[in-house]
Amino acid sequence: MTQLNDMLDIERPLPPARSFSAPFWEATREKRLVIQYDRVAGAYQFYPRPTSIHTGRRGNLEWREVSGLGQVFSYTIVRRARPPFRDREPYIVAMVTLDEGVNVMSNIIRCTEEELAQGLRVKPYWHPLSDGRHLLLFEPDR
Amino acid sequence: MALSDNAIVGYAETKIVPRSEVDVWELAAEVLDGILEATGFAHDEIDGLILSSSQTGAGNNFWSQTVADQLALELNFCQTVDIGGCSPVGAVARACAAIDAGLAENVLCLFADTAVAENNGRPRSYGAEWTSPFGYLGAPAAFGMLSRYYDDKFGLDFRALGKLAVAQREHALRNPNACEKLRKPITVDDYVNSRMINDPIRLLDCVMPCDGASGVLVTGRKAAEKRGLARCAVPVGYGERTNVGAQRAIVDPTVTGHRIAGERAFAQAGMKPGEIGSFHPYDDFIIAIMMQLEMLGFCKHGEGAAYIHETDFLFSGDLPLNTGGGQISAGQCGLAGGGTNLVEAVRQLFGEGGERQVKNTANALVTGIGGIPYGRNWNTSTVLILTPNA
Repeated sequence: MTQLNDMLDIERPLPPARSFSAPFWEATREKRLVIQYDRVAGAYQFYPRPTSIHTGRRGNLEWREVSGLGQVFSYTIVRRARPPFRDREPYIVAMVTLDEGVNVMSNIIRCTEEELAQGLRVKPYWHPLSDGRHLLLFEPDR
Repeated sequence: MALSDNAIVGYAETKIVPRSEVDVWELAAEVLDGILEATGFAHDEIDGLILSSSQTGAGNNFWSQTVADQLALELNFCQTVDIGGCSPVGAVARACAAIDAGLAENVLCLFADTAVAENNGRPRSYGAEWTSPFGYLGAPAAFGMLSRYYDDKFGLDFRALGKLAVAQREHALRNPNACEKLRKPITVDDYVNSRMINDPIRLLDCVMPCDGASGVLVTGRKAAEKRGLARCAVPVGYGERTNVGAQRAIVDPTVTGHRIAGERAFAQAGMKPGEIGSFHPYDDFIIAIMMQLEMLGFCKHGEGAAYIHETDFLFSGDLPLNTGGGQISAGQCGLAGGGTNLVEAVRQLFGEGGERQVKNTANALVTGIGGIPYGRNWNTSTVLILTPNA
């Protein structure tokens, strides 16, 4: 079993919130995942954008709360990093496909190299940031 | 007026170095000097300037004007192209468009970056918000995930990828302008056994950041003929595609903009992949070369490895590949790096390849790759087909 690092004890760089992504970040204070949904296209999108990627129309967008359940789309094991991640290698950076049909980049934690695979089912893990917001990480949904 | 009414009539490049001892403007001046010397054009005949992106120039909102001032160019047309590694190939297409539109007659396309010695880039992108908090370090991690996806979908053959790395290295050994640090032979085993950076991306998959400059001079084909410039590289086909899959939430990262850009370039040129004399793809990672072979139609999607095994990519072979070593074995000159393979393609068509001269100089295909989007492959793909003045 090759254990990979979870990096739960390091200070993560604080993500800036933009005028149009603020609802996402606000919801993370309560460990809720909200993503944008285009009512006309009937499709979700991620990351939050200033307009709909499906129709280009701002008025078609609304925020919807989703479970955060999904599966691994692709991944890499980072073996060379810069601070504050340096000396915490190896760790996983992955794209996760949420059940709603969007891809989200994050870390997979509490996961061994042997267990890690495309299609691995994952669930959210909310990692606290120093300003009260949370970072959406994932762990295997065993 | 058409793309092919124009011609590249000269080129120049500096030695590629791990860290420049001289200022980026001095490198730019070296390229201008080399082009004036090679073409016989007078300084005051250049009336257009197109610069590539530059990490050193980044942050200067007046980059093209500043460079024009340093080089004492008085111009009718002056701009920077900011499509990353696609900027040099994109600059040639834009130079042709400017000449066709009557905006300028003789356009210097100049690619200069000293990103190692002086990086002034402060990218404003999705990164700080959506990737940096996870320890994602840009291109190597992006290509790690892309490679893993390719492996799951088609299977990755590392010995095939290694063959590409070895061929390019063989060419760098014959290129005195390649970074000296990289001018040492490697084997497929060296490639396969090189240190993992972002699984399955290894050290020998990656470019080494370097400093350097290159450039080409574009003018009207008739004007070139009038001057008696026999050696020309005529752009006969061009395609450019930015943000493949921009309107879809999930995109297959093994499908790139080179498919559409390539179809357009080949149709315009009236050619097929099998007719290509030498291949000069943008190479930031080895797998990008295989993906471009697939997307451009040299082989089917997912069958790149088999094609690689049956093809000789040496300068003396069936499909000479990046005969100057490519960026991976010559060094990547920051955001000016797309100029390295472009200049090499022009050099080959001019018959000036020296000990790495290819036999088939009927044409050459050059590409660009620029920018890394969120969890896909790359932002912009360009394809340029050149022929000698026929």
